[in-house]
Amino acid sequence: MQSLPVITGLGFVTSIGQDRASVLGSLRELRHGFEQQEFFGNPNLPVKVAGTIKGFSFPTPSWRDWHWPEHFVVDRELLRGLAPHGVYAVCALQQALADAGLEPAALTDGTTGLFCASAGSPFLLNNFINQMHETRGERSNPMGIVSSVAGTLNFTLAAHYRISGSVCGFVSACASSSHALGYAMDEIRLGRQQRMLVVGAEDLTAESIMSFSSLRALSHNPDPATASRPFDTRRDGFVGTGGAVAIVVEDSALARKRGAHIYSELIGWGQAGDGYSIAVSHPEGAGLRRAMQRTLADARVNAPEVDYVNAHATSTLAGDRSEAIALHAVFTQAGAKPSVSSTKALTGHGLSLAGAMEAAFCALAIDERFIPGAAHLEEPDTACDGLNLPRTSLDRAPRLVLNNSSGFGGSNVCHLLRQPA
Amino acid sequence: MSTTDATNRSPAAPQSHQADSSRHLSPGVRAEFERFQASGDPAALDPVLFAILEDFTPKPLSRPLADLPGNTRLIDDLGFDSLAITEVVFFTEDLFRISISNEEIVQVRTLDDLRGFIHSKVAGRQVR
Repeated sequence: MQSLPVITGLGFVTSIGQDRASVLGSLRELRHGFEQQEFFGNPNLPVKVAGTIKGFSFPTPSWRDWHWPEHFVVDRELLRGLAPHGVYAVCALQQALADAGLEPAALTDGTTGLFCASAGSPFLLNNFINQMHETRGERSNPMGIVSSVAGTLNFTLAAHYRISGSVCGFVSACASSSHALGYAMDEIRLGRQQRMLVVGAEDLTAESIMSFSSLRALSHNPDPATASRPFDTRRDGFVGTGGAVAIVVEDSALARKRGAHIYSELIGWGQAGDGYSIAVSHPEGAGLRRAMQRTLADARVNAPEVDYVNAHATSTLAGDRSEAIALHAVFTQAGAKPSVSSTKALTGHGLSLAGAMEAAFCALAIDERFIPGAAHLEEPDTACDGLNLPRTSLDRAPRLVLNNSSGFGGSNVCHLLRQPA
Repeated sequence: MSTTDATNRSPAAPQSHQADSSRHLSPGVRAEFERFQASGDPAALDPVLFAILEDFTPKPLSRPLADLPGNTRLIDDLGFDSLAITEVVFFTEDLFRISISNEEIVQVRTLDDLRGFIHSKVAGRQVR
């Protein structure tokens, strides 16, 4: 019989909380994590809001100037290879391992793997490249490359935790950590690994966020209470965030044998490309529709059985609309009406981090028996007519939950989570 | 308004490795560095060198480096690896405006090796 992957540990460094209890409270009560934020010290920029990571600061590229909340421990030995999002990731992974009841010594025997996702650190990479230009290639920070390129998370964490199982990084923009989680499920289902650590993280820097302003993808709304409002007619772009989420995935037999708490089962995943545009989603959500259908097929689940969909919806005009159309194609046309919400209304869009963050929220929703509401939604887009978008969180235990993610190039990934038997 | 993150750096914020390499040294060590720069007194060099080494030591130290014997080995006793040594070299090159080759680095194994090596390098720089 095929192994069943289950989630046994979660760690959060997000704009809406840095531990399970505070994240849970924010999701239940729909408390957002946004603050006004000035980028590049330039008050003239139209982007005014970000999903801030409280208590962390990275004012210069030197780790000597960095600060994080005192209750997190970041070893000196680790710091040299970390980008800002690496610091978040270390803090999230420590939490997830403690939550799963795992000591670091349990990770080294080859049965545990590590899949990570981030876009790298444009902040540190820019500094590193500038150093080389200034010295005409004669001198630059020895740790510049490993701390800044995409892959820095898996380099650093695999070495630090002595991971000798599968180690890989995933780069599919805003679907990256969803790919990491999907392929982590496969590692367990194929019997290659008994346990997978999945980490998604992103910097929250001017370089990482404002790059999306060039694409005209960011909200210009200066009000933290309404800047991110997925599916609302007045949405005008996404609000950026950073942070990290770590998820411990284990073979259910191992988890049960060691008496671990099981948040949820991971019973299927799927992916599909739009084959359409480098940056804009397919107008009818064709790839996302196929990814949802493939996920349901993988899990052998019919659309009407799904209780809740954590939508990818980032609060952009085109993306939210195409997802609504895809949801109709998969659910409304099958006579199904699951609750739908995008928790990016609270967190902002975490880019590579988003998929893992929202999968962790889905696991929390199953474990804590509630459905997160569609925050900040007042006037739904007409494309949403007929979708069930609860305005408040519901005290209703979802048994089956679908998590959607979409990235640049039309890369769409979904997971299906189930209440443990 | 939140201004704690790297989002709010202005273009003028220090980003260059040359901006001020000694910025993170303690005031006492910085004073020694300035004294060395002004007078060339070799006695002022050791506190600076030990501060740099302590800063880059991967594992927490049980005793200050200055209290350890000169034959203490960087890798076997202090837990340095080749990357940490490269970081020390990079920082030292910047601070003292010297150039250290890979061939020279591999000869340095102990605290005394490093001390002697940097003293001779810096003396050479002053001669030039």
